[in-house]
Parts: sequence; structure tokens; C-alpha cells
Amino acid sequence: MMIQILNGLVYGSLLMIMASGLVLIYGLRRVVNFAHGSLYMLGAYIAYSAALYFNFWIALCAAVSILAVIGFCLDRFGFRPLQDRDPLTVMLVTFGLLLIFEDVVQSVWGKQSYSLAAPEGLQGVVNLFGTPFPVYRLLLIVVGLLVAAGLIGWLRFSRIGLFIRAASTDPVTTAMQGINTDQISGGVVAVGGALAGLAGVVSGPFLSLAPTMGSDILIDSFVVVVIGGLGSFAGAFAAAMILGQVQALGAVYLPDLAALLPFALMTAVLIWRPSGLAGSRV
Amino acid sequence: MNSTLVIDAVGQPNAAHGRKTLGLVAATLAAAGFGIAIAVLVKSTTVMSLLTQAVIYAIFALGLGFLLKQNGMVSFGQAVFFGLPGYLIGLAFKFAGLPPEILIALVIAAVGVFAFALGLVVVRVPGIAFGMLTLAIGQGFYVAASKSRGVTGGADGLNINLPQHLFGLPSEVFQNPGSMFVICWLVLVLLIVALTLLLKTRFGPLTAAIRENEERARFIGFRTLLPRAAIFAISAMISAVGGALSSLYTGFISPESLHWSVSGAVLIMVVLGGSRTLWGPAIGAVVYYLFRDYLGGQTTHWMTIFGVSLIAVIVLWPSGIAGGVNRLVGRVRFASERSKA
Repeated sequence: MMIQILNGLVYGSLLMIMASGLVLIYGLRRVVNFAHGSLYMLGAYIAYSAALYFNFWIALCAAVSILAVIGFCLDRFGFRPLQDRDPLTVMLVTFGLLLIFEDVVQSVWGKQSYSLAAPEGLQGVVNLFGTPFPVYRLLLIVVGLLVAAGLIGWLRFSRIGLFIRAASTDPVTTAMQGINTDQISGGVVAVGGALAGLAGVVSGPFLSLAPTMGSDILIDSFVVVVIGGLGSFAGAFAAAMILGQVQALGAVYLPDLAALLPFALMTAVLIWRPSGLAGSRV
Repeated sequence: MNSTLVIDAVGQPNAAHGRKTLGLVAATLAAAGFGIAIAVLVKSTTVMSLLTQAVIYAIFALGLGFLLKQNGMVSFGQAVFFGLPGYLIGLAFKFAGLPPEILIALVIAAVGVFAFALGLVVVRVPGIAFGMLTLAIGQGFYVAASKSRGVTGGADGLNINLPQHLFGLPSEVFQNPGSMFVICWLVLVLLIVALTLLLKTRFGPLTAAIRENEERARFIGFRTLLPRAAIFAISAMISAVGGALSSLYTGFISPESLHWSVSGAVLIMVVLGGSRTLWGPAIGAVVYYLFRDYLGGQTTHWMTIFGVSLIAVIVLWPSGIAGGVNRLVGRVRFASERSKA
């Protein structure tokens, strides 16, 4: 039971990193990024290739920086020129990007699945409550917590964070105060891309690398963001943790229904509160 | 811009109204004749089976396009309403004792009722979240169909045993590309006509008004939830007709028809064709199929090509093929009127 809860925390942390990227991008650009799962997958595959030559940590840094650049380009050449268009239009553009990224990944790395080895020194197990538990998974929980704490700290207490919060409340007024919202958005989408890449890399040793990994996590992250209330960090964090537990405990106690539980949970939450847990109107 | 559209639909002068009805009848007969001519003229079975698939998808896309046109909402889970009727028909043929024609009608009705109930929940969710929500619901159905081996046959799918006779025709008629093409084509034409007539009633302008501004529609005293859920249900039922025809044609249904990539493909068809007219998505489906078949022979990277063309159409040509055709027709009309004057 304890182990299941911990496994739930591990998957929940992963979802939290993904969801925070989605929420960041949505906040500034009002875009739901359907390519977010592809960025996650790209991060994992880039790290896999880099890890063939260097160690895990260098691969991690490489993948995260490449994904940050991709995120920046996505904003500069995608979201920024299209910012006056209907949000649904931009959403369809990200769906087109999803198709392109999936094809690129399949062309470069093929359809077989790979696994990324956990970094040296973190491959062992520890005894928790009398049951062995992989150290690496504990690290994942820590990474999730660090990302959450880092983001909240950054947004609450830094000057840039203030600008970001201002721009996601009202971009026009913020721009009138002399803040370059395009530059801010570029940075924020880059951070969102980097977070997706980070999630992809750290998921490598925990899940495996396969061409379906992007759409699998995308759907779970969407469930998290919808349950949490689109655009809310606190809601997304709570929803990620709940969904992680539901997945992990469901897999043990209701194996037949486990795959359906996230959708049942989502439907129940939406009947109860149509705009999600955090409840802000979008 | 859009308020003129509403006034247009309500307050046409009577003479123009009569001429438009005549035009609709003529267009219907011409479209039906065109389909039969294709079936007579095209001799190759490969081409016919490709076209049959394309027309089945055209019906599927017509449903999704109707949702986008009248509700302004983009669903990423329309495959639910394409795959679900196939499963229901397969199971109903196996277990229920009623005549197959009634079973098919019941299945379509059941999909409609289910979609209406689902619509009451999901259409309240704002536009962007609606896309995410429908994607997740669609994937939920896909997972359910793949996992519950006992009922659906899991990933192996389900064979649908057609009865000897269906709608008074021997069942081979439904599985032969040439004859099935004509059936599907006529169904498509009838559905487009039915939707055109439906949109000419009060329901058309009302849902257009709600699409443009739900809050104002409420201010002037309309209930907005029920019409939106109704649009969602009608859209689902049309796609279900496509799904039912597909399952009769192939005699088989598998979770693949519920996968998100199917929802994505049909969305591309709708965007490619243009959703401002009813027939746009249908054209988009046919173009998509022919294009994909051609590309399939040339390259394996059709996903990239569709991704690029999707983005290009959205960015450069947002009204799709139908919008382009309408502009062209408008220009020709303008030129001919000027030459008369």
C-alpha cells in the first residue's frame, strides 16, 4: 500500500512537471499546446542518444537546453505571429506540429522502444517500510517538488515572475506599462518546452521510450489540467497528485477499470465544477 | 459580419425563397446523379473501394463539421461516435432478437441519446478545454474497448456477422465497393439536404446566435444549454451513421477506429475542406483520402505532409477548400453580371 502511494507520487510528479508547462504556456498565450507530449517525447529520445556518448546528467542538460530552444522557436515563429488569431486556430496549428514531431521521432529513432539507464549511483534500491523501492523514483519525487517550489518561487517573488503574472492577467495593459510581453512570452514558452523535455528525460528510466509515449502523457496531462481548472497552478498540482494516486492505487485494487479511472474522475469533477477544481472562469 | 448572417437566414423575401427551394432540389438531384455516374463510369475495383471509404469518412466529417459550424467547438474525440455504433451493431446482431434494420436505427438513436447526455456536461466547458476534454474522453473509450476483451474482443476487434438481407437488399450489396459507394453517396447527399433544411428552421439562426455570443443569446431570453447539447447530439448521430456504414462495409470493428489519430484525421478533413459550409468537410474527406492514397505510394512521411498542410491551410487559407470555391463562384458571378450590364 505504502509502495503504491509512493509510485503514485512518482507519476504525479511527472504529470505535475508536464502540466505546469502547459499552464505556463496557456497563461501567456492562451494556447493549449497539443505538441507538449511531443516535446516530452523529443526530450526523452534526445537524452537517449546523448546518453550513448556522455553520462546521464550531460544528456539531461543537453536535452533540456535543446527543448528550451525549440520552445522559444515555437513561440517566436508560431504563437507570436498568430497571437491575433482565434485560440482554436492556434490549437489546430499545435496539433499539426504534433503530427510532424511524431513523424520526425519515428523516422529518426524508429518504432522500437528503448530504455534509458538510471544515472550511476541511483540505480540501487532502498528499504522503505520493509519493501525495496528504487532510489531513482525517490529522486523523481524530489525533482517534482523542486520544480513546483522553483516555479512558485519564481512567479511569486521575482521581478520577471511579476511581469509574467501581469501579462497572463492582461497582456495589453501590461504592455502599456512598458513591458515587452512578446519577450516574456518567448521566455515562458521556452521554460514550458524545457520542462516538457525535463519530464521526458527523467521519465526515461522510470517508463520506457516508445513512439506512443508522447500521446499517452499528453492525454493524462490534459486530464490533469482540465481537472485542475485551466490556467491554475495550484489546481494542476493538486490534480496531478490525485491522478497519480488514482492511477497507482487503481492498478492494484481495480486492475480492470484502472485505465478508465482518470476519465471517470474527470467527468465527475466536471459535473461537480464545470471549470475545474481551482474554479476560475476561463 | 456574423450578425448579417443571422438576419439573412431569417428574413429572406418570398420570391427568393421559392427560387432557393427549387435550387436545393436541383442541386440534390444533380449531386445524386453525379454519384451514380461515378459508380457507373469507374470500372476499377481498387478505385471504387477507395472512393467508398472516402465517402464513409465524408459522412463522418460532415458530423464533426456540423459541430464546428453550429457550435464553434473543436472536438478531438469524434472517433467515439464513429467506432461506438460499430461495436453496438456487432453486439446487437449477436445477441438481440430484433430485425437488423430496427437494431441499426436503435443504435444510431442510442448514440444520439448518449451524446445528448454527454453534451449536457461537456458543452458547458469553455472552448479550449473542450478540445482537451474530448480528446481524453475519446481515449477513454479507446482504452475501454482495447481492455475489455470479453465484450469487445479487445485489440483483436469484433467480427460483425451481417444477416442475409438488410433493408430488403442482399447483404453482399453492402460489402461490394461499387454498390456500397452508391448507398453511402446517397446517404451523404440526403444528410446534407436534411441538415440544410434543419438550419433553415428557427434552430439554425438560434444556434448561430449562441455560437457567436452565448451570453447575449441568454440575455434576450433563450436557453442556451439545450440547443448546444442538441447540436452535439446531431453531430454525433451523423458521425454514427458513417460509423454504422463503415462497420457494415468491412464487417469488422476494432479499437483502432476509436483511436485519437482517427479523430485527428477527421479533424484535418474538416479543416482542409472548410467548415463554413456543410459540404466543405465532405469534400475535405475525399481530398484527404485521394491525397493520402497518392502519398502512400510515394512516401512514408505522410504524417509530416499532413501536419504541414494542416498548418498551411489554417494559417494561409482559413476557410479551406469550400471557402476557396465559394470565392471563385462569387467572382465568376460578379464578372458575368458586369458583362451583362
